[in-house]
Amino acid sequence: MNEHISMRVNSARLSGIKGRTVRLPCKVLRLSDDIAIVEASDGGQVEIQRKNVDVTATYVEVIGSVVDASTIKAMATLPLDSEGEIDMQLVNDVIELTFESRFDKLFPRYKETEPSMPTH
Amino acid sequence: MSQLSSGICRRLNEAPQEEIDQLASGHTVQLLSIKKVAPTPNSTTATDRFRIIISDGVHFVQAMLATQLNDLVANGDINKNTVVIIDKLACNFVQDKRLIIILDLHVVSRDEEKIGAPTAPPSTQDAPAPIALESASSSVTATSSSTTPAKQTQPRTGPSGRGGRSVYPIEGLSPYQNNWTIKARVTQKSDIRTWSNQRGEGKLFNVTLMDESGEIRGTGFNSVVDELYDKFEEGKVYYISKARVNLAKKKFSNLQNDYELSLEKSTEVEECLETTSVPKMKYNFVELSSLEKLEKDNTCDVIGVVKEVGPLSEITSKATNRTIPKRDLTIVDMSQYSVRLTLWGKQAEQFSADDLPVIAFKGVKVGDFGGRTLSMVSSSIMTVSPDIEEAHLLRGWYDGIGTEKNFQSHTSGSSGASFGGFNRNEMRHLSDVKESQLGMSDKADFFSTRATIMHIKSESISYPACPTQGCNKKVVDLGSGWKCEKCDKTFERPEYRYIMSMAVADWSGQAWLQGFNEAGLAVFGKTADEVHEIKERNEAEYNALMAQASGVTFNFSCRAKQDTYNDQTRVRYGISRITSLDYREEAKHLVELLKSPWAQ
Repeated sequence: MNEHISMRVNSARLSGIKGRTVRLPCKVLRLSDDIAIVEASDGGQVEIQRKNVDVTATYVEVIGSVVDASTIKAMATLPLDSEGEIDMQLVNDVIELTFESRFDKLFPRYKETEPSMPTH
Repeated sequence: MSQLSSGICRRLNEAPQEEIDQLASGHTVQLLSIKKVAPTPNSTTATDRFRIIISDGVHFVQAMLATQLNDLVANGDINKNTVVIIDKLACNFVQDKRLIIILDLHVVSRDEEKIGAPTAPPSTQDAPAPIALESASSSVTATSSSTTPAKQTQPRTGPSGRGGRSVYPIEGLSPYQNNWTIKARVTQKSDIRTWSNQRGEGKLFNVTLMDESGEIRGTGFNSVVDELYDKFEEGKVYYISKARVNLAKKKFSNLQNDYELSLEKSTEVEECLETTSVPKMKYNFVELSSLEKLEKDNTCDVIGVVKEVGPLSEITSKATNRTIPKRDLTIVDMSQYSVRLTLWGKQAEQFSADDLPVIAFKGVKVGDFGGRTLSMVSSSIMTVSPDIEEAHLLRGWYDGIGTEKNFQSHTSGSSGASFGGFNRNEMRHLSDVKESQLGMSDKADFFSTRATIMHIKSESISYPACPTQGCNKKVVDLGSGWKCEKCDKTFERPEYRYIMSMAVADWSGQAWLQGFNEAGLAVFGKTADEVHEIKERNEAEYNALMAQASGVTFNFSCRAKQDTYNDQTRVRYGISRITSLDYREEAKHLVELLKSPWAQ
């Protein structure tokens, strides 16, 4: 069960969970054949390794495994575009809320794989 | 023996208006007599009024004791020969007479002998004439009695000539004195209003009258409207006499006075040109943050900066079927609260304030739509940028720091509707609505909720209605046309309007809501005419449309009321406002809620 957790994260929360699967809602800044540079909901930039994975919209959710604190190896993407522009600030608020300790019972937690800076 | 402030009586008798105000306090006098003024016959309980003679040892003058000091006489704190210090007095001037009223005093000593041998002060043009009431001042020494009775018997009850009028303070009016004249400013004059109910119909108007002692409301009906309406002009000062003093109907006015005036055919109104002594508007401002403490339907005074001006809109009054223009303003004040205030009629139309002025409102009604709202009523007075201290303070505060502040709102953000908008803060879930028995009492209750449509009763979702603007009555199919009973007109085709029953549900329960045309438009996205046509043409398409509308979530503002239909009494939930969800807005609110103390 543990292996199939995929929390929604922003760029800051990528540290300490190398190898884990995450979901990253983000805005595509630059797209090339193998790589996409995206901006996460907290403003931080992340590199997406996207061999064979399509990126079809401006806002996407990247599902993939964490390579390091600023790189994700993508497995799939979900388009997030909608009529109004997606509110990344709201997305970030929600992401941060899900990690709060009072909601530990609602959301699964990763075990950290490497020492990291405290995120709060 | 106490030392009296000799010379004060003479000064009081002779000094012009401006000086009197300064002479007011700190003088020691002896009360030579206190006489209750005889109330007129037919009085039951009366506020007593006392006429007193004050002496400074050298002269004496007559004065009236303000009713707030009556207790002192009743307790025996003051009586004959008591020496007192005057703390506050007022003097009303009328033509060539002056009336001194003692508003506040404190006792120095009692049971003294009469000090000195006071006489009537030398007569200037204005001899000391008290209010010409029936009781004679027999306690005064013999020397004076010869001069005063002549003045006292001056006919004040006589014809409405200029002579012989002395002015009463409004504060002293009571139903048990008839021979009074007040000098007051008209601070507010209402429009002429007509009414008709089972007992008949008529017209009326109101005025608010104010002098330095207080305010009182006057009402004139029917023929009096014709006679007096034009005579009164807002802002001008008049002598008014021979109106009837009745107990005030507090429901219609927020003035402090226990009494109000009925203006009759015999009421005399004369314009007064000597207006200096009559004050301008008096306010009793309430901070916006404490509006919650006021009950609904109370009136109050507020002052605030206009933060937002809504557009002019129209509302059709269900009672009279007339359209009334309205406009909402949002005002804020230093308590960091904001509130919505509604203007009606001409005021709404004429309102133009592109800057953000400070406006003082007197006598606005408190409502409870979505928290607290304020509304102008016929007796409310709105003054833009008044020249009073509170206004200057507000202006300075707002220009300095107010513009950046976030204000706590008494009304929720998203509404402008007449029935009270969708109030996210007071949203209820459906089982709560049922448990709280909303709508079970005689009056209607309002609530907001978010729910998903589960089922729409598709057999009857619309009715043929009269196309006349504002008339939504059902029209009858005569075969040759559709007739509206109310408008007495026949139409070739009716305009269909929605009337639907929908089962909605949320996590807690289910309820049946009644929706009208507005609701139908929101749910189907088509007019009732279009849907009716689809139903006639293609049943399958119609059913598909119904199914499509199910499962959609909306925010509802509802009105719960009891209804009796064929002997069955049930609570019905009517939809007064329906809005689609703006997920972004809703999500933001949820986030805020999670961050609030409630969620910790």
